[in-house]
Amino acid sequence: MASVVLSEAEKLYIVHGVQEDLRVDGRGCEDYRCAEVETDVVSNTSGSARVKLGETDILVGIKAEMGTPKLEKPDEGYLEFFVDCSSNSPELEGRGGEELGIDIANTLYRVFSCENTVDLKSLCINPKEHCWVLYVDVLLLECGGNIFDAISIAVKAALFNTRIPKVRVLEDEEGTKEIELSDDPYDCIRLNVEEVPCIVTLSKIGYRHVVDATLQEEACSLASLLISVTSKGAITSMKKVGKGSLDPESIFEMMETGQRVGKSLHIALQKLLDEEESLGTSRPKVGFLG
Amino acid sequence: MPLDHRRLCGPEESQPPALWAGTAAEDDEDEEGTGAAPRDPCALRPLFARAGLLSQAQGSAYVELGSGTKVLCAAWGPREAAEPGPGRLLCEFRRAPFAGRGARGRPGAVAEREAEREAAAALREALEPAVRLGRYPRARLAVSALLLQDGGSALAAAVSAAALALADAGVEMYDLAVGCALCRPPAPAASWMLQPAEPEERRAAARLTLALLPALNQVSAVLGGGRGGPPEDWAQALRLGLDGCHRQYPVLRQSLLRASQRRDAAAAA
Repeated sequence: MASVVLSEAEKLYIVHGVQEDLRVDGRGCEDYRCAEVETDVVSNTSGSARVKLGETDILVGIKAEMGTPKLEKPDEGYLEFFVDCSSNSPELEGRGGEELGIDIANTLYRVFSCENTVDLKSLCINPKEHCWVLYVDVLLLECGGNIFDAISIAVKAALFNTRIPKVRVLEDEEGTKEIELSDDPYDCIRLNVEEVPCIVTLSKIGYRHVVDATLQEEACSLASLLISVTSKGAITSMKKVGKGSLDPESIFEMMETGQRVGKSLHIALQKLLDEEESLGTSRPKVGFLG
Repeated sequence: MPLDHRRLCGPEESQPPALWAGTAAEDDEDEEGTGAAPRDPCALRPLFARAGLLSQAQGSAYVELGSGTKVLCAAWGPREAAEPGPGRLLCEFRRAPFAGRGARGRPGAVAEREAEREAAAALREALEPAVRLGRYPRARLAVSALLLQDGGSALAAAVSAAALALADAGVEMYDLAVGCALCRPPAPAASWMLQPAEPEERRAAARLTLALLPALNQVSAVLGGGRGGPPEDWAQALRLGLDGCHRQYPVLRQSLLRASQRRDAAAAA
């Protein structure tokens, strides 16, 4: 992970501030930075989203392609995640970026492995033969701390934005398969993202924990807990990261905080996505870096 | 393990016949499951641990769980590393091709490598807080775990074995890391079970693996996923897991003591 080098005095400053519930930029321990979410930014994809959380910048593109269902689940489609971190900083080029990318992809697989996160049965075209495979590609444009949260928000927004064309596969008398696409470009399947969880990272600094840590705060924290929370408050996955260890009591407290923060995050995100959807084609497009 | 090209290689894609014999096999399994007495969810399976069995490695350990999981772990003490900085712990986790209950996993397959890499990262997460890396600057400590048979709770057994192997190698540690796995069956309002066997783990709705440093009461790793429910359920699962780890700790300490006694006896003889 890209990291900053801090002196001991700076670390002490941050730790003491967090004890008093006051972080360097004035936030409380449970406040997120100002986030910007925009969907439908890349036109060649089935769905895309861009999230800027403070300095962290994530771009997610989803492409839906037809494929064969997995053997164990013949009447469901599936998702494939790929994360690219190389555009970030020189130390993340090559092996370092690849390891971080695989780590993030594995976390996303685990978060989405719970059965009812995405309705996979709606992605099936013909059982055992054809299904939709959603290739979710995540690009880490800039790392400003707390990448897991930003990536999960972007993936949820991109899944909300995904439009999969309605397809029927017909079989002739000779057995040749024909794919029939509906003529109307707006006739498509939309995914239900109500059960899609969001990851909340809680970093332990001193005796308290903070949500949405910046790079400097991550350098002061020895251990963090990644929790994925659904909009109803159920926790679907947990992972501890970092070199330090956690007290069991802190883990219980972090789970409570994570649930609280996650629920409010879902409400805010859904409101924003619905607002953007209602603007429709009249949404002002400024340009990619605008 | 390199591929032996002189043998007849099977087809690229091969599927186990069990997939197609679906319904008959599942009915038998369900009958067995409900016929047998329901398991006490807090019961720990018998654990066998032995340290100091490989002569080539500086430290080694073998852990076997009652459900059939067998893990062999070897550790190598500090070796000089080229890059400056604090000491590093390198973990490797390999599964034997015959370890799983289903089809033989091809040793070089991408999916296998990904799963092994993820398990190795989890192993490193669990061991790093326990090892005093500050005492080994510019050094590399290597730990390699080999799963011989997967009977459920494989990662938890690997964590315990790796901690034992490191201690056996004489690496300075704050405490032994003890691993414990839990799972929750898909029935509604079911309770969490300690140390699931392989069929229970496969059918589980939620799984949790955790590693604890018992003497310090610090959790060094938590890895879980699935339909667990509200935080209270996960908290209850954590408490059960911590209790399980505390109960396994004396067995692991005893095995270390015996290994050092054996070593003394061998040196004196």
